[in-house]
Amino acid sequence: MAHCAITGACPSDYVAVAISLLSLILLIVRALLPFISKKGPKVKISGVWLMIAQIVGSISLILSLVMSINFLTLKHKDPWRSCYIWAVWAEGPFGFGLLMSCRIVRAFQLYHVFVKRRLPPIRPSVLLTLILIPWIGGAAFLHMNKPLNHRCHMRTQWVIPIVCIHGFYLAALIGITRTVHHIEFRFHEFKDLLQGIIVSSVAIALWIGAYVLNEVHEDISWIQVCSRFLLLVTASVLVLVFFSMSLSQPLSYQISLRKRESSKVMTMRQALGIPESRLIIQTTTASAIDLNQPLDKLLENKRFRHSFMVFADSCLAGESVHFYEEVHELSNIPVDDPVRRIYMARHIIEKYIAAGAEMEINISHRTRQEILGTPDLTHPDLFNCAVAEVMQLMKTNLAREFWSSMQFVKFKEENSKQLHNMEPAGWDCSERVSCVRCTDDPFNQEHLQHCSSGNQYNV
Amino acid sequence: MMSILAVLLENMGCSCSRPHSFNEADTEENVQAAEIERRIAQETKAEQHIHKLLLLGAGESGKSTIFKQIKLLFQNGFDAAELRSYTSVIHANVYQTIKILYDGAKELAQSESNSSILYDEAKELPQSESNSSKYEISPENKEIGEKLSEIGSRLDYPLLTKELANEIKILWEDAAIQETYSHGNILQVPDCAQYFMENLERLSEVDYVPTKDDVLNARVRTTGVVEIQFSPVGENRKSGEVYRLYDVGGQRNERRKWIHLFEGVTAVIFCAAISEYDQMAFEDEKKNRMMDTKELFEWVLNQACFEKTSFMLFLNKFDIFEKKVQKVPLSVCEWFKDYQPMASGKQEVEHAYEFVKKKFEELYFQSSKPDRVDRVFKIYRTTALDQKLVKKTFKLVDETLRRRNLIEAGLL
Repeated sequence: MAHCAITGACPSDYVAVAISLLSLILLIVRALLPFISKKGPKVKISGVWLMIAQIVGSISLILSLVMSINFLTLKHKDPWRSCYIWAVWAEGPFGFGLLMSCRIVRAFQLYHVFVKRRLPPIRPSVLLTLILIPWIGGAAFLHMNKPLNHRCHMRTQWVIPIVCIHGFYLAALIGITRTVHHIEFRFHEFKDLLQGIIVSSVAIALWIGAYVLNEVHEDISWIQVCSRFLLLVTASVLVLVFFSMSLSQPLSYQISLRKRESSKVMTMRQALGIPESRLIIQTTTASAIDLNQPLDKLLENKRFRHSFMVFADSCLAGESVHFYEEVHELSNIPVDDPVRRIYMARHIIEKYIAAGAEMEINISHRTRQEILGTPDLTHPDLFNCAVAEVMQLMKTNLAREFWSSMQFVKFKEENSKQLHNMEPAGWDCSERVSCVRCTDDPFNQEHLQHCSSGNQYNV
Repeated sequence: MMSILAVLLENMGCSCSRPHSFNEADTEENVQAAEIERRIAQETKAEQHIHKLLLLGAGESGKSTIFKQIKLLFQNGFDAAELRSYTSVIHANVYQTIKILYDGAKELAQSESNSSILYDEAKELPQSESNSSKYEISPENKEIGEKLSEIGSRLDYPLLTKELANEIKILWEDAAIQETYSHGNILQVPDCAQYFMENLERLSEVDYVPTKDDVLNARVRTTGVVEIQFSPVGENRKSGEVYRLYDVGGQRNERRKWIHLFEGVTAVIFCAAISEYDQMAFEDEKKNRMMDTKELFEWVLNQACFEKTSFMLFLNKFDIFEKKVQKVPLSVCEWFKDYQPMASGKQEVEHAYEFVKKKFEELYFQSSKPDRVDRVFKIYRTTALDQKLVKKTFKLVDETLRRRNLIEAGLL
């Protein structure tokens, strides 16, 4: 027993290592489960890299604990067993540091979007790298000075600054979280941040406790073994709890996760609980709609809009109408509810405006940059320019052919009570493509390309 | 054979094509099978004659103009109702153009005065009172400019009255606006600007009906996909050659929709506007249009579906290219940076054109894998606004495709 306390490989050690392995597997399963189980929308790598960073950090942290605290018996001079790789690099920059930085990046993004009401000016990957620099610097400094002994322990004067840097990052996270605590988030963002704070404080406390015990009672072997075991097990559990799915998913994906039971995908409007427009009540009781009105007036009628949307989807020009509808929904959110407005505005930007977005609309560079660089996400006129351009597109491209399309005939049949004068001038086959049987809706991409090149053109 | 059949059957889901009905209630199995076979063969033969043509290219490269020309040449052209429907589009073009020019002139004047202030400060010179930039609009026209700029930003444009047309003309003739127009490559000025501005009186008539040329010049940004089916009437009317032509949008967001059209294409007509070597893309003002076209062409050439597809490259907007190449050197575009001007005048234009053509040829052979060398590749110099030229060009395209069709069928 005394032997294995020093060289490792006690039975409790093996149990602890098994538990940590189990927790890592659970972590990976938890991360990948939504992607495998349901046919969720395609998520690009750029959307989930924060999650991947978390997984890497968790694995790295656990491994650093296992390798540096004598759990397994490995030969002393084995290059794998270098203390500096595990106790310094894997624990610091790539372990605890990475995990904390991911959380800080997330908090910073939330602060920027909800408190300052603009899109974050720095890309999250750049920000993460910047935040990690102190850790990397510290690790390099330690590596050069080599204060660790052969059991990967260091003297007290080295431990204090290390505890300080851990505590400093925790304090930074608490600070940023405090700035957003008054926002009423709708998707558990604040709970995630609190969870992160609690978990990291517990972890630091444990680590300090274990260190103190180990140093003070170096000769009592059962304390060593016990503290080792407890440290690894609690670290594994904490890593599992610390992991948060919501850090980097696009918001629509989160909504679909919540509604996993129902098969239909929730719209953002439903997820936010925005009431439907009052106009609908009016138009269903009105007998006929005046088809001589300009298109922008006609589109305010929900049934007309949906009929038009189906037609536009069939010609692969549907994103304009979807965009118009979501901006219309945004305008239904009262101005004194900035949080919901911000969610909706961000959703619209992610889905329709950002370059390479899944349903990117056809607007000019200037309009796009104005929206992306806006100083106020809650501004009621944020999307006005874009809507004007899109309306022009719809009028010149789609309106004329809509009148002679199947969808319009169906609409008129449903609206058949008192038709206003317009008879379609003999409906012939619309010039718009009716042969292409696929919608522009990425959620329904069942259309298989036999010889597609695989990658979308993304210049 | 069965794979061709499967592909054709898939493409036949269109409500525009003939319905596809089998009579499966026959008694004898053999007779039934033979009957079905015969029908399939008939339909296949008929469908095989429908050639799918795609018009691809970057934004504003002339695809929709070619599309309109084909409609004019081989279908019934534009009837009165359709011509009248273009009135609002043309008026919209006028308002948008003058707004772009006015806002552009203001910005250029502002940035010039900013840089001259900085320059004066750096050199510690006393700031001159009248920083009269050449983009500074004369004071009496500023009010008109503001009014027209406001009109141009509305959702619904007003009808173009004589009064408004006069004001636009006054503003257009302002020296600052003309200066802005001549340096318009950094703004998004449509190519039809000059044409419409010169015809303002006619456009603002009360009973104005657009002419064919007006319609061809009108700028409409295409979104989604449009198709027509036509038969180029040749000497032999029974040839049965039918073409189905697809027009698409060229901006970056529209390109993700192209993939739905890539199967079973006989020929791709790729439009490249060679006059745009000094302009920036509409959807990304940091991207040079010629470089964008180059990358797009490469991407299209490397598509797996286009192994056997013929490529017709239309080097379009030659009329604008002619005038521009004498003022702006080709080397401003990165792709053409090794261009050396030789002569001047007409010879220079020809020399420049041959250079550009060679660049595209090199690009084609670089991008095509060795197993695709036997696909047809032809380059045509076009000006999409010129009906005679487009007709001639399309005749050549038609001949090429027919010859290739016969080669494929093993008859040549």
